[in-house]
Amino acid sequence: MATSDDTLSDYPVSPLANRRGLKGGQSRVGLLMLLPAALAFSAIILYPFLQALGLSMFQYTVEMMSPRWNGLGNFAKLLADPAVWNAFATTAVYVTLTTVGTLIMGLGWALIVNQPFRGRAVLRSLSLLPWVLPSTVSAFIWGWIFNSRYGVLNAFLMQIGVIHYPQAWLSTPQGAMMAVVLTKVWLSIPLFMAFFLAGLQNLDREQIDAARVDGAGNFAILRDHILPHLRPVLIIVVVLGVIGNLQQFDTIYALTGGGPVRATAVLSVEVYRRAFEQWDIGIASAIGVLWVATLLPPAFLYLRMLVKGNN
Amino acid sequence: MFDLSSTTAKVVFGLALAFIGFFLFFPLYWLVISSLKGNAELYQVVPTAFPVMPTLDHFVAAITRGKLPMYLWNSLVTSGASALLVSVLAIYAGYSFAKYKYFGRQPVMLFMLSAQMFPFGLLLISLYPMMSSLNLLDTQLGLVLSYIVFALPVSTYMLYSYFSQVPDELIDAARADGASDLRIFHTIVIPISIPPIVTVFLYSFMWSWNDLLYSMTLIVSDDKRTIGPGLLLTYLNEVNSDWGGAMAASLIASAPIVIAFMFLQRFFIQGVTAGAVK
Repeated sequence: MATSDDTLSDYPVSPLANRRGLKGGQSRVGLLMLLPAALAFSAIILYPFLQALGLSMFQYTVEMMSPRWNGLGNFAKLLADPAVWNAFATTAVYVTLTTVGTLIMGLGWALIVNQPFRGRAVLRSLSLLPWVLPSTVSAFIWGWIFNSRYGVLNAFLMQIGVIHYPQAWLSTPQGAMMAVVLTKVWLSIPLFMAFFLAGLQNLDREQIDAARVDGAGNFAILRDHILPHLRPVLIIVVVLGVIGNLQQFDTIYALTGGGPVRATAVLSVEVYRRAFEQWDIGIASAIGVLWVATLLPPAFLYLRMLVKGNN
Repeated sequence: MFDLSSTTAKVVFGLALAFIGFFLFFPLYWLVISSLKGNAELYQVVPTAFPVMPTLDHFVAAITRGKLPMYLWNSLVTSGASALLVSVLAIYAGYSFAKYKYFGRQPVMLFMLSAQMFPFGLLLISLYPMMSSLNLLDTQLGLVLSYIVFALPVSTYMLYSYFSQVPDELIDAARADGASDLRIFHTIVIPISIPPIVTVFLYSFMWSWNDLLYSMTLIVSDDKRTIGPGLLLTYLNEVNSDWGGAMAASLIASAPIVIAFMFLQRFFIQGVTAGAVK
């Protein structure tokens, strides 16, 4: 039985122990560096978050001088409100369509621009553009494409004979949903592509070459090598996509304002309307709490991945 | 990656390239083309694929007649100030998480990171009365502070993952020479970390520049308005829609962020995907 000094010194002496020995002063410097961000975080993010959670239990509208305790009254009211159910259903449709759409397009585009061909570098950097445009601009572009009288979509579909009269896309529930989904898919392709490209960069080329020598075709290589390799990235992208799409407000608000007749009123739009158009703070907060609850599963997955990434 | 020597493979690849490429680039093409068309040409039922009589009228109008320059200036000031603030906070917090061990470090960091999932719209419900009671509602300072919400968690993580890779030996050597921790950080670590710091600055700048929700709610006065709500109110309102103007103004409003991004995109992509792909 040999006990070396190494194993002894590796043993953590106290939770406060610095890894370079017991220099409490260095921990203090570390805490000092964290302090400004921690203060800003607490004041601007954490406190408003907790306060909004708290407000969900109060009756609080603009006419009232101060909030009145309401317990779970707001939630009881919400459960009986078809507009809230509609917001959840609309959000589910929106998030599913945008996430699946971006996944397919983003992966497809990453596989394409990963292939060596002339002009690939230029194409790659140009394809990041939708992502950096202001949200109002994205909404303008697609609002113009979908415009009922002068929109290029109508003109094109009439040209090829799919429709015979111009459609008022943004005035029909399905058309408006299609427009907000396409806008979001379009502006998220670059981010998804960037993640997939990062994943493709460390693919084992020799393994693929060996498979090719064994007679594997493109499809087999995609199925047996590329997709399994991309699995971790795929999970990250889906989780981040769901979180981001659940948050989306700007383009929907600018494009349809949540209409027609609430057809695109996702949770973010519903909360905004209740809070800043009807000034019903209590109810808006209560919807927000339900919204946070739907975010918990992807949030949990995301945190688990971060913990794994750190170790 | 794929073997494109066979005709079938070429056709499949070409079709996929054309389909996604069209979806990705046509809207951008249409934005540029539409901004160059005069109203007579713009409002035709069968649109022209290329401007027959290109004109810069919409650009001239946007710059000279509208309030666009003012909105741009307001955006530049608020986004710039907010990005600076976020960068400074994230630099220290990221380094603290990466290089110091203290009780509760991991849980605190994870909690701060998870905040990027707090719904922005929900936070606004409390930020609004908070800014109001501090007399910061309808002020640029209030907007700058509120913008912290968007980028502080992710920025801290991006810098944390970068600083984690800075070798401890470098820091220890300087420490052996008798330099203080803050001095080491300022004179050795920060200078070699300029690319990720610029990335974080640009990332938070982009969030603020592109925002509509916060800027439209927390700012009421027209002379303090930023480009997101400014564009929306100027070009698409209940009374009329000026699509040509909207397209030209969109291009002008996008230019600063697009130009900055083009120069820094390599760092930017690395920063954003950092930690996610190992």
